[in-house]
Amino acid sequence: MKNSVIFIAVVVLGITALLIGGKRFTRPPQGQANTAVPGSVAGPERGTTAPDFTLKVLDSHDKTMQLSSLKGKAVLLNFWATWCEPCKMEMPWLVELQKKYGPQGLQIVGVAMDDAGEKAISDFSHKMGVNYPVLLGTEKVADMYGGLDGLPTTFFLDRNGKIVDRALGLESESLIEDSIKKSLGEAAASTASAK
Amino acid sequence: MKTNFWMLLGLALALSAGVARAQQGDVPAKVTADSVDPITVRIGHSVPVQFTFHVKPGFHINSHQPSAPELIPTQLMFYLPEDLVMAKMEYPAGKLTSFPFDPSTKLSVYSGDVVIRGIALASSKSAAGRYTVHAELKYQACDNNSCYPPKKLPLAFDVKITEGTTTSRRARPNAQSPHIHN
Repeated sequence: MKNSVIFIAVVVLGITALLIGGKRFTRPPQGQANTAVPGSVAGPERGTTAPDFTLKVLDSHDKTMQLSSLKGKAVLLNFWATWCEPCKMEMPWLVELQKKYGPQGLQIVGVAMDDAGEKAISDFSHKMGVNYPVLLGTEKVADMYGGLDGLPTTFFLDRNGKIVDRALGLESESLIEDSIKKSLGEAAASTASAK
Repeated sequence: MKTNFWMLLGLALALSAGVARAQQGDVPAKVTADSVDPITVRIGHSVPVQFTFHVKPGFHINSHQPSAPELIPTQLMFYLPEDLVMAKMEYPAGKLTSFPFDPSTKLSVYSGDVVIRGIALASSKSAAGRYTVHAELKYQACDNNSCYPPKKLPLAFDVKITEGTTTSRRARPNAQSPHIHN
């Protein structure tokens, strides 16, 4: 009888370890399906403030950029990698959109989630004519943004750093532009209401 | 004594299930591997070996020779004991395919079943014995509008090296290639 109790206790403890271990080491989805886009995005949800981070800027002699330092601008935060063909496809669009909406206060920021090394990322960015800052991503930042299992993943922030839209996977240029307008427009509205 | 055994068994099962669940995470594998039948090779000889992988429907992986230098090739890597060589690896040709994210470009990819062939060669200096060979398939998968980080799919197979007609060193009872730690 005593042995049976011990056995059951051990099994219960084991199952508890299983559940705790599983929960600790797996990455639960934190977001819900984005109704505006075909894919779903795990990570910070729309309406929340984008998690702040500081990352090294590509080709800048070890300079860093803090996301929150861009407050006052609408930000398109684009996570990408050199091995990601859909990311490559949208880069020329982002270059054009930066030119078009930069004067209105848009700042596109690329975050390279790549093990290829700084030189490979730099060469690739130059080849693609990237005209916006590219940061060197880390696992920690990936975790802050839901794990970033699929690329590209893009977050659109208003001038207050609040997420107004997000997209997993390649979107059409017009959908990206719509989200940028939303980002700039909502920013204008929230600025007006603050006054 | 008997109770201790069951206690240990219960704990071990629970912990191993937890570790397995933790390692799998929430992201389902895009590629799976068939188990490789044990092979027997005589010293100084070789035998063909076949590795079969399955790419999940809706996904593709780059071929062994992708269309662009920045794309990550599919590659089978072996961690071999010193007495064994894997040679003449034959990867299937990639299928040139265009995808919705860029209909104007064709990429060299694998989808569905992927069979990689090679030979296991026991050199004339090999020692007879049983070996477990560890290997990894390195791949990077995409679907129609997203790409996923490079992964390594581990696999292992048993090799028995037997005495041949050539002179051999003394038999080795059991050996393993280095284990892979991700």
